[in-house]
Amino acid sequence: MKQQDSGPSKWLLFRIWAGVGLQSFGGGASTMLLIQRAFIEKYKWLTIEEFMYFWNLCVLTPGINLVAITVLIGRKLGGVWGIVVSLAGLLLPSATITCLLAASFQQIENVAAVQAVLRGVIPATGGIMLLVGCNFAIPLLRRGYKEGVLYLVGSGALMIACALAVILLKLSVVVVILSAILLGALFFTPRKGAPLLLKEDQGEGQ
Amino acid sequence: MIDPFIYFLLFLKASLFSTGGFSNLPSLHQDLIANGWAKESYFGQSIAIGQISPGPNGLWVISLGYLTYGFAGAALSLVAITLPALLVLVISAGYTRIEGRTWVQGAMFGVSLAVVGILLAVVWTILRQPGEDWKGLLIAAGAFGLALSRKVNMLIILGLAGLAGYVLYR
Repeated sequence: MKQQDSGPSKWLLFRIWAGVGLQSFGGGASTMLLIQRAFIEKYKWLTIEEFMYFWNLCVLTPGINLVAITVLIGRKLGGVWGIVVSLAGLLLPSATITCLLAASFQQIENVAAVQAVLRGVIPATGGIMLLVGCNFAIPLLRRGYKEGVLYLVGSGALMIACALAVILLKLSVVVVILSAILLGALFFTPRKGAPLLLKEDQGEGQ
Repeated sequence: MIDPFIYFLLFLKASLFSTGGFSNLPSLHQDLIANGWAKESYFGQSIAIGQISPGPNGLWVISLGYLTYGFAGAALSLVAITLPALLVLVISAGYTRIEGRTWVQGAMFGVSLAVVGILLAVVWTILRQPGEDWKGLLIAAGAFGLALSRKVNMLIILGLAGLAGYVLYR
């Protein structure tokens, strides 16, 4: 929040977000990857730890998490106007295209070729989302590894338990997250007061 | 006739009581069908359009807005899914006050782990959709590998996947 004035120009911010929005075909997974690449890897305005810190706050926020993280990144890089141009960049061009596609889709929805193409695109979305999950898991498991075997095993177990709770028990995502908050506070609270995912933690991002 | 104000409130409510892009579906389904403002088929169509169009997954609601209420519906639904996200500012302000406590760090570590678990569950759901077979898994593995290599643009990956779908499933 201190260096808002030295942030990127609003026009650049708009263009980056518009690029993220327009290139993220296949939904949220590719959007996340594009945000990570643009803001963390290319321009280095964010660290992966900071991104995850933001993402955690967004998971606690109602609605679309990607829109919420756009708000947080926009604010960090440009204050209130940063939020406005980031949201406009992410949403307006892609929403316009979605709307126009909806208008034309009605005419071609029954064409077999369209359905075949869609059947190829959907699993690819799954593969891309798996990569985003791996990108998230690696720093967490590395952290667990540093804290000891028990910590590492516990981290892996909670991750898998959350996946199974959603897949098998069909628990609501909200319930899963609330349980994870409780379990995390009980079992992962650092003893020596070592920070886990602080904003300032520059960590070992690539 | 659709009442624009009620229509907007229904979309806003669905978004406020959801997390992630798709969990507003049950609420919208219930309300729009009950009011006679949407046909059953609109929901499947909207999600399919959301998949092939750019932007966050949650934008499938825009196509639902268009199919039910034309351009006005698309605009109203866009506002309705944007507003709740601003609450992140409130949450982030509240969180700054308590983040120094050690239990909060433990709790947030738990949330991070849960996020990975939920992502895995979403991957599972996508790959286990009705009609999905080994060819789909092959496409998923290919997309994973290409994305991992960082050499191929996301659009090209999805284009190749669409081509593979055309060849394999036509």
